[in-house]
Amino acid sequence: MIKELINNLYSYRQLLKSNVQKEIRGKYKGSFLGVLWSFVNPLLMTLVYAIVFPLILKNTEPHYITYLVIGILPWNYFTTVISQGTTTVLANGGILKKVYFPREILPLSVNLSGVINFLISCLVMCLFLVCSGIGFSWAIVFFPLIICIQFLLQQALIFITSAINVYVRDLEYIINFIISMLFYATPILYSKEMFAGSALEWVIQLNPIAIIINSYRDIFYYQTTPDISFLLIVFAVSLIILYIGLMVFRKLEKGFAEEL
Amino acid sequence: MAKTNKISDKKKAIRVIDVSKKFKLVYDKPYTLKERLVFWNKTKTGYHEVLKHVNLDIQKGETVALIGVNGSGKSTLLKLMTKIIYPNEGKIEIDGKLTSLLELGAGFHPDFTGRENIYFNASIFGLTAAEIDSRVSDIIEFSELGSFIDNPVRTYSSGMYMRLAFSVAINVDAEILLIDEILAVGDQHFQEKCFNKLKELKESGKTIVIVSHSLESIKDLCDRAVWIYEGEVRMDGNCSKVIEEYLKVCG
Repeated sequence: MIKELINNLYSYRQLLKSNVQKEIRGKYKGSFLGVLWSFVNPLLMTLVYAIVFPLILKNTEPHYITYLVIGILPWNYFTTVISQGTTTVLANGGILKKVYFPREILPLSVNLSGVINFLISCLVMCLFLVCSGIGFSWAIVFFPLIICIQFLLQQALIFITSAINVYVRDLEYIINFIISMLFYATPILYSKEMFAGSALEWVIQLNPIAIIINSYRDIFYYQTTPDISFLLIVFAVSLIILYIGLMVFRKLEKGFAEEL
Repeated sequence: MAKTNKISDKKKAIRVIDVSKKFKLVYDKPYTLKERLVFWNKTKTGYHEVLKHVNLDIQKGETVALIGVNGSGKSTLLKLMTKIIYPNEGKIEIDGKLTSLLELGAGFHPDFTGRENIYFNASIFGLTAAEIDSRVSDIIEFSELGSFIDNPVRTYSSGMYMRLAFSVAINVDAEILLIDEILAVGDQHFQEKCFNKLKELKESGKTIVIVSHSLESIKDLCDRAVWIYEGEVRMDGNCSKVIEEYLKVCG
């Protein structure tokens, strides 16, 4: 099954490429700043949190803005992919009904264009790391590994959500709610130590996206080795969900053209 | 182009084996969770059987027309062959690269130029960048769009749009072509050009399955016609004989 999928995707590689291109270029088409929005957006978001949050929470982190940026960028990548990925099959209903192509391309290209956008926005992070004087250390070698794990996790999730959303269209609203809840259950604005010892600590410990964001923090901000055992658990779980997700997608894709 | 399946008989391009397709007819379709929960046993579902145990073999190099009145299941059969939808019973085997021209301009993005859309549209048909590169000048020439090709597609007239879409589809170079009622593209001149292109493809040994209501052009193009009546094959054979019989009953 996997081999067949890879063969199929390989023969349609040009479609995958142009779909990713369309997602990235089409997104900013007609705006004055164009792809620059990939920098400006997270920058503005960080600015807002950086102004507001010190008023509410007493932060203990010395370079709070840099600390924020490292959390916000991967979080942005996560939410964009999950919310766009969930609706992608519905949004492309027009093409689905007209031509055959491997349907897996749709969620895959959302995730791919997301990761490209994320990598572009990482330049903002580099800027902050340099300006704050934190700089870079050897720990950066773990960066590709963490991105891969995040990519797999997201791909696994959106295979399932994009297929189910065709049949039950509430899912996108439920997902949006879950994402906004998850934002508070993930140490983006605060550090995970603030929850240490509280009744809600397990939420952060079980939250895979929290583990991923903490790993980004570890390698860029604290400049240490990330918690490899936790990362590997997330990796294994992602692979299992990916397999289930593919099965679900395969099963449900046969009815896409009729449901849309 | 769809994935190729193995067919034991090497001369056959398409085998439709005992295929049935029903469509669910749902009155008040439950789209949301609330509707699903509240009306979970109240939705009236009926089934409309579009195709009933259809068997059809199409040889390589044959040009076959599917004729029949509206709603008889011709387009459903084509959609099943392209794997846009799947049969409830039976199976369909395809041998060879297959392209379907069911609707033109699938995936055109209005903000991109004609040239960019050629790349996007052709990639939907499964071509690689190199393959598109080698065809792009042919496609532009065939579409007769000239310098308009580098303008955004949203500035095109509907005729220009269809011409571009048809030019991409016809130049994909598949072994099996499925065509649904798209011969009526553009003005007289362009229609003739499309028709001639189809003849050329036929002579080069492509397998063509075509759904059309313009019986005259079918007679001219096809060697075999299949008359589909209420989801069943009513008559299958020589093109002009089938059309004659069809006109007696439905004309």
